[in-house]
Amino acid sequence: MKKSLYLILALLLLVLAACGNDDAAEQKDETDGNEVNLYTARHYDVDDELYKKFEEETGIKVNLIKGDADELLERIKREGDATEADLFLTADAGRLYRAKEDGLLQSVTSDLLDEQIPENYRDTDQMWYGLTKRARVIVYNQDTVTPEELSTYDALTEDQWNGRVLIRSSENIYNQSLLASFIEIDGEEQAKEWAAGLVKNFARDPEGGDRDQAKAIAAGIGDVAIMNSYYFGQMLNSEDAAEVEVAENLGIYFPNQDTTGTHVNVSGAGVVKSAANKDNAIKLLEFLSAPEAQGTFAEANYEYPVNSAVEPSELLKSWGEFKEQDIPLSSLGDNNAKSILIFNEVGWK
Amino acid sequence: MQRRLANINIWTVAAIAIIAALFLPNMTIVTGLFTPSNENWEHMKEFVLWSFVKNSLILVVATAGSTIFIGLSLAWLIAQYQFPFRKFLKWALILPLSIPPFIGAYTYHGIFNYTGVIQSTLRGQFNMELNPVYFDIMNLPGAIFIYTVFLYPYVYTITQVFLSQQSASLIESTRLLGKGPWRTFFQVVVPISRISIIAGASLVILEVLNDYGVVKYYGIQTFTTAIFQSWFGLGDIETSIKLAASLMGFVIVILLIEKILRGKRQYSYSSTKVRPLPLIRLTGWKAFAAAGYGFTILALGFFIPVIQLIDWTILTFGTIPLDEFMSYIKNSVFVAGISAATIIVFSLIVGNFARLVHGRLAKLLPKLTVLGYSIPGAVIAVAVVTAFVALDNFLAPLYQLVGTKSTLVLSVSLILLVTAYIIRFFAIGYSSIETGYDKIGTDFQDASRLLGAGLTRTFFKVDMPMMKGAIISGFILVFIDVLKEIPLTLILRPFNFDTLSTKAFQYASDEKIMEASQASLLIVGISALAIVVFYKFLEKELD
Repeated sequence: MKKSLYLILALLLLVLAACGNDDAAEQKDETDGNEVNLYTARHYDVDDELYKKFEEETGIKVNLIKGDADELLERIKREGDATEADLFLTADAGRLYRAKEDGLLQSVTSDLLDEQIPENYRDTDQMWYGLTKRARVIVYNQDTVTPEELSTYDALTEDQWNGRVLIRSSENIYNQSLLASFIEIDGEEQAKEWAAGLVKNFARDPEGGDRDQAKAIAAGIGDVAIMNSYYFGQMLNSEDAAEVEVAENLGIYFPNQDTTGTHVNVSGAGVVKSAANKDNAIKLLEFLSAPEAQGTFAEANYEYPVNSAVEPSELLKSWGEFKEQDIPLSSLGDNNAKSILIFNEVGWK
Repeated sequence: MQRRLANINIWTVAAIAIIAALFLPNMTIVTGLFTPSNENWEHMKEFVLWSFVKNSLILVVATAGSTIFIGLSLAWLIAQYQFPFRKFLKWALILPLSIPPFIGAYTYHGIFNYTGVIQSTLRGQFNMELNPVYFDIMNLPGAIFIYTVFLYPYVYTITQVFLSQQSASLIESTRLLGKGPWRTFFQVVVPISRISIIAGASLVILEVLNDYGVVKYYGIQTFTTAIFQSWFGLGDIETSIKLAASLMGFVIVILLIEKILRGKRQYSYSSTKVRPLPLIRLTGWKAFAAAGYGFTILALGFFIPVIQLIDWTILTFGTIPLDEFMSYIKNSVFVAGISAATIIVFSLIVGNFARLVHGRLAKLLPKLTVLGYSIPGAVIAVAVVTAFVALDNFLAPLYQLVGTKSTLVLSVSLILLVTAYIIRFFAIGYSSIETGYDKIGTDFQDASRLLGAGLTRTFFKVDMPMMKGAIISGFILVFIDVLKEIPLTLILRPFNFDTLSTKAFQYASDEKIMEASQASLLIVGISALAIVVFYKFLEKELD
């Protein structure tokens, strides 16, 4: 009986080991040296389509692990030099900065990348490259608010907006990066005042995602909401007619046009320090910043292309051009912890 | 006593090895308690910690209370009375367990929000523009509602099996003594089902403490939020571990309370024949009320969200290729099955050890394994990765001998993921097995041993047949839990390994709940199927 128990355990382990290595090993053999391992925090279907296209064009197999940005970073850190990851891709410049700070990325040079991605969307040490942009805009109820009443993020802290402002929780990285940009531009004290002023004007405690803020305007809970531009595009093109209706009744406004510019964040990627497939990783970066992929991002996901040779989609163009915040994107990461502490202090849930 | 100890060597060794393996990765958390506090910790204490703790306490206490109320009342109705649809409700009431709470949270918000079916219908059909605040469920009461309707089956299943099978003679005696249904319920049923109620409720509590998806979306700040905030937001893993360790301390207190409440009492069979309780037939409005109650709960926890998911699936059908789904299904079922099987085998070994070895330590040790359930999945993930990378480095010379190129073998394989599942969900399987062992007691064991059978022989010939029910219910619970699991799967899976839940989560986290509905519906479908299949099997076994 003793034996059989051991036998069962041994068998279990064996089965597990076999299954675990089965797929991975096979793929490895087939594509040895001809693959790229991507850890990505973006989970859009359009990304998958682009990877497929990349595979077809280059014959390089893209292996994927999708997850939360922070958790992927933690994983790369723990795996150390032996990590399988070649490329780390995420939807926030702050996290790219953190990856760089933690020594997880390496500097790469590529003329094509330099040509396709403007300097302000690249890391100063070439550790990471921006791939798409989204703006954090103000959307408003067209019945109760005229665009003339709107001006800056700061103006939303004024008394006339009392009980009318909607925004999601401070736990969200987009809000953290927004405040981080203000810390960079105005300093910590003023940024804190802004956060406290906005909390005072909240229409309700933060809840839900960006889309929920737009719906809350339609429901009459508040009149203005701060949300990401591409969510607005997604709502306009939703399968759900009710969502389209909500979005159609809203106006979109790019704040701070006469001052510091609208807050912009990027999705971007960096080559992992110990990447075994460094060349393939660079090729993938080049592919994603090339006109074709950039056009796809804009058309299918309503993100702004970083490649200036590429026109935004019709929808994005209909929103008009706008002035962007001009700060080093790494400051979003640099000030991230500070913004969280400020959010806690002013009671922004 | 001497003889007994001499005979249990292999069981003791195996049990202690399992306990150690499950507990060691958690040690990194325990040590965090003793690190000095830094300024982030002070900041948290000053500004937010109290409200985090308060929210967590409210969630835990209210959810435990409501799940006990619903779970126990349903279990009692099913065990004691005959009414229309009883047979269907008996197993169908477990179905809400097939819906991951975060999916449920998204779904209910989808139903209640401004563009959802209720408000749209009121506006469109009845021209009624009601204050949307009445429909807002993204708050504490809303979260309590979500946890209650999707988690009450933990209390219901364990208690119902207990009441239907074990307590028959006790309850019958009470009836014979002329006590009415209410007195029977409060004076006999509640006290004797205490163990199962507490077992079920502690699973609910641990599940709530660990959840991140629901509270994150609903914007409620809890203890788990604090752990994630300090770790990922502030990049301060020390504060985060300190928080996780405090959470673990809290869970230990809960476990101790359970132990104390359970006391020295043991209820086990006093006769060899386990008779099911003869059912009392309800008629008229009482029958109607009983069935109505069951169906109301079932509608809230299953039918309503499923109908909404189906509706969304129809809206978005075709956006994801079907063959992709086949591989998600295969992956999901595979990891869930293998993890559930392993956990049950381990639980049987550890449970048998706890039952047969006397002394406080032997009773306490198995409790340690439950701690994995109290730690947020992301924290476990990192603990497990750390352990496996160390193991890989240790084994590296061996790998080179075989000729693999990489030095990471185990830590990039499915073994890593499955190990993490086992640590995380051991409590679920174990508590089922433990309740099973409690139920059969040691009398039969002693008899078999007196007749000269060895411990292992006794285990397979005497104990196992009586444990079938517990084994099956434990397996189902773990299987479903793995199927629904999120943070561990996201962080630890090998390349190109997607499951239904990772797919559903990715869409949901991009606020594409409609697209998430297809994968969600499949999770629900497979879990529901597991419940039905195993339930039928269970029924046959018990007859």
